[in-house]
Amino acid sequence: MSSTRFGLAGATLALLLTVSVGCSAGEGVDVDGGNGTAAGGVLNAAIGGEPDQLDPHKTSAYYSFQVLENVFDTLVEPDANLAMQPSLATEWTTSDDQLTWTFTLREGVKFSDGTPLTADDVVYSYNRIIDEKLNTAYKFGTVKSVAASNPTTVVITLNAPTPNLLANLGGFKGVAIVQKANVESEEIITKPIGSGPFALSGYTSGDNIQLVRNDNYWGERPKLDGVRFTFVSDPTVALQNLRGNEVQWTDNLPPQQVPALLDGDEPTVQSVPSTDYWYLALNQGRKPYDDVNVRRAIAFALDREAITKAAKFGLATVNQTAIPQNSAFHYEYAPYSHDVNQARQLLDQAGVSDLTMDLMVTSEYPETVTAAQVIASQLAGIGVNVKIRTLDFAQWLDEQGNGNFDSFMLGWLGNIDPDEFYYAQHHSGGTFNFHKYNNPAVDQLLDRARTETDQGARKQQYEQVAKQIVDDASYIYLYNPDVAQGWSKQVSGYQVRTDRAIRFRDVALTR
Amino acid sequence: MSAPTAHRSEGQLRRALSALRHDPLALTGTAVLVLLVVVGVAGPWLAPAGINDVDVDRMLQPPSWAHPFGTDELGRDVLSRVMVAARVSLQVGAVSVGIALLAGVTLGLFAGYYRGWLDNLLMRCMDVLFAFPVLLLAVAIVAVLGPGLLTAMIAIGVVYTPIFARVTRAGVLSVREQVFVRAAVSIGASDLRIMRRHVLPNIAAPLIVQTSLSLAFAILSEAALSFLGLGVQPPAPAWGRMLYDGRGFVTDAWWLGVFPGAAIFLTVLAFNLVGDALRDVLDPRQLTVNEARRSTG
Amino acid sequence: MARFVIRRLLQSTIVLLGVTLVVFLLLQLVPGDPVRVALGTRFDPQTYEALRARAGLDQPLVVQYFDYLRRALTGDLGVSFRSGRPVTEIVLERLPATLSLAVTAVLFALLIALPLGILSAMRSGSFVDHAARVFSQFGVSVPDFWMGIMGILLFAGVLGWLPPSGYVALTEDPARWASHVALPAATVGLVTASILTRFIRSSMLEVLSEDYVRTAEAKGLRTRVVVLRHVLRNALIPVVTVVAVQLASLLGGVIVIEVLFAWPGIGRLTFDAVQARDYPVLQGAVLLVAALFLLVNLLVDILYARLDPRITVK
Repeated sequence: MSSTRFGLAGATLALLLTVSVGCSAGEGVDVDGGNGTAAGGVLNAAIGGEPDQLDPHKTSAYYSFQVLENVFDTLVEPDANLAMQPSLATEWTTSDDQLTWTFTLREGVKFSDGTPLTADDVVYSYNRIIDEKLNTAYKFGTVKSVAASNPTTVVITLNAPTPNLLANLGGFKGVAIVQKANVESEEIITKPIGSGPFALSGYTSGDNIQLVRNDNYWGERPKLDGVRFTFVSDPTVALQNLRGNEVQWTDNLPPQQVPALLDGDEPTVQSVPSTDYWYLALNQGRKPYDDVNVRRAIAFALDREAITKAAKFGLATVNQTAIPQNSAFHYEYAPYSHDVNQARQLLDQAGVSDLTMDLMVTSEYPETVTAAQVIASQLAGIGVNVKIRTLDFAQWLDEQGNGNFDSFMLGWLGNIDPDEFYYAQHHSGGTFNFHKYNNPAVDQLLDRARTETDQGARKQQYEQVAKQIVDDASYIYLYNPDVAQGWSKQVSGYQVRTDRAIRFRDVALTR
Repeated sequence: MSAPTAHRSEGQLRRALSALRHDPLALTGTAVLVLLVVVGVAGPWLAPAGINDVDVDRMLQPPSWAHPFGTDELGRDVLSRVMVAARVSLQVGAVSVGIALLAGVTLGLFAGYYRGWLDNLLMRCMDVLFAFPVLLLAVAIVAVLGPGLLTAMIAIGVVYTPIFARVTRAGVLSVREQVFVRAAVSIGASDLRIMRRHVLPNIAAPLIVQTSLSLAFAILSEAALSFLGLGVQPPAPAWGRMLYDGRGFVTDAWWLGVFPGAAIFLTVLAFNLVGDALRDVLDPRQLTVNEARRSTG
Repeated sequence: MARFVIRRLLQSTIVLLGVTLVVFLLLQLVPGDPVRVALGTRFDPQTYEALRARAGLDQPLVVQYFDYLRRALTGDLGVSFRSGRPVTEIVLERLPATLSLAVTAVLFALLIALPLGILSAMRSGSFVDHAARVFSQFGVSVPDFWMGIMGILLFAGVLGWLPPSGYVALTEDPARWASHVALPAATVGLVTASILTRFIRSSMLEVLSEDYVRTAEAKGLRTRVVVLRHVLRNALIPVVTVVAVQLASLLGGVIVIEVLFAWPGIGRLTFDAVQARDYPVLQGAVLLVAALFLLVNLLVDILYARLDPRITVK
């Protein structure tokens, strides 16, 4: 469009025609199942919103990853229990000093456009993230260099032992292997090329993204002909579309209806605990929140059941620590019963009365706005007057970064390794320690556990960390939400994953 | 020489009042407005429950004796929130139309009185603002300044300024050539004095009509902004915001959609009825509602 | 006539320049660094520098404006902060959806407003006349989004006749397009219809009271013939302009309705851009809409002048 040289007003109609032509050309490669391809059919999936862009290294929107999960591959990938399994890499070895990891790539892997995917592409992808300091660069914090010793061998050299390197390299598609030509032509923003089971075939801005089966895929041939992701922001509409068979899958279900849907027969709805957690953080750089008694008072004043019910309609598990019950690193610890008297006593001990607390939430995550109103009414019960401040996310992040808050509520999504749960948030030098928590004992434990290669010892160290963080009320943990997804009877082979990855490669559609 | 002007505006007002008294629709509208103002002022005391009484054990309950309008997704009493929200709507209406009135009348007065290049410049500026659909411009302004009650009022005020400027200018143009204005000029009265004493009172009629109609549209615009999540922020209640928050639940809880929307409708209708009645008496040149609304786009 | 056209053209150009200035200044009013704010979590130094340079924010203000103007004239409205794609491309691909909704809504409105307006003018004071007045008062007072919600509750929920929201391109499947466009078009159309009804009624009344109509009636021509021959033609000329202006403002995207019905047009785009703080897209959408609006107004004025020569004299 940049070559169009028209005056704006005069050319509007001419441009209009260009656009309609452009659209119908785009729909020429439409994969809509209506054309009678009997074999696999096209699965229509409703997701809650539109990806901001489709470059896996640059997007941070969950909507993007819902699509990209099916388009890209990583070296390794988490299985249903979040243990790392071979993907593009078939095997790997670690040197005795734990500082050199050698990955062997699968033979004959191709991108969906038919060009081969080699070790050079892996090196290019990782160096792009590291050199351009992209979102996931922190996952390569201990990486000294990435090199290709031959087309199927990648060698990663580290500065320090990194027991969770596999989780960093395969936890989600944000560290996917991309194609250099695709990046340099900037087409990756709207027409990404990956090596995954499906390839992008069409994009109607504001409405849908279409994928077709990638016939160059290295794994088992997907049963579906394609997937069409439609953006449906209203969950009641998504459910209605599912019932009317306009879509066959959605993860955007009205939370208040999920309990009934779980008991029902059609559509199939399943809900599993996720690895996400939501929490309240108090700014320890400000008085009186530097006083552990004040923080504990607030922890005691909260009725987590009520908060969860309001924010998630019960689709969540109350948890006073970060790591959910289904993880191997879960640590059962719940010292804060809902106890108003205890809370008042602690406030008295701290010599605090007539406290007005600023609580920062964001419209980007409406559950924070909802939960904040419940928290406000609960804290009113111990004489704390909560002023809710709703910001859009960009502004919210600015305020967080500058430490301009008494308290905020937010969640962490998609963490797998305990280091991801604790280090950046609670180490005194951690990137996300905006609430200025500082406990040298915790720092020491975190540093040690990070490079501890004995799994048993590592688990124990993280349990100590968890207990101390909860006792200090560094974060006041609230709940782990569930992932609820629904699909029609026609869909088989789909599994809800705790990390919210949406994988359609094994799904079949009966008609 | 100021006697005839004063006389004229007094006569207009009297005619307007008597017209309102004899028009059943206008009477109804006025009654609704009076009720609204009472609720707006005394809402927090009249409301049967607190607006932030969260209780998750009674969420999404249908209308009952205890909660005539039902409860919302946090178990709060919808009737109480609808009542207290009246204040927000009236406040936004009054302040934003106040801004538009002040700015528009000032600009229109100067443009119409001095004519020439100033007139040209000011009115072209108004043309520019007029080229944007109302809500689109308001949304853009709020987007830039950040959402909230204050920015919503400013945005709506800016958006409705051009129409006041146009109405004022048109009035001034017809008044300034009349005998009593020329006479005032000839005895050496200052421009500002002439504008205040002779011009303004004589263009009051169309301005009163426009104000009344603009109040309706300002309230409608605020509701639309709040419905987009760009107006009043929670936990403060506003009608548009209540619809926005309740959107995900309306299929299960119709009362979350019906009552706040009906409140907006009745309020806007009341302002329109009164405005139309006033216009019929005061401004027969028929600056229509439609022109004022132009587009809610 | 030629002088009138030239004058109107000149005037529109000046206003359009003003519009670009306002749109340009929007970005300057953002408190803080707009690119930083827009990037948020997606912040990385390279993208940041690239977007800043692309938006020309490292230049002095006056240079920035003329640069913006120069690029806008060649159809280049910058790149999206969110996706990095050209704004012109993003905005234009939303036009078909908005266009199809606006045209359908106006047609729907005319279907109601023409008979209602004409009848109520011919039978002034009758039941039809009262009904028309109630209808138009209702239409200008009801919040369109509320009517939309009620429509969804009734037609998609209780009755299950229509899909509650969503979009299918007209070129893709006309039948499904029609079922999707019905509710939003009816919602917008009812409001537009109430405005048009009033206008048609008063325009008819005005013509009916003119001398030549009375003369025609006096000559004994049957009422219906008078209406068809003279009144309709003369009364509908101003109606055409109002319809065109309504259409133009609907092209600006009925933001709330497009958001409510998940209709991927200009209005939704604007709203999404606001949510994502994607200022270049917001600027582009607003500029395009205002330009369209000016263009339609200009065309209408010229057309009107041709149809009714008295205008040029004025």
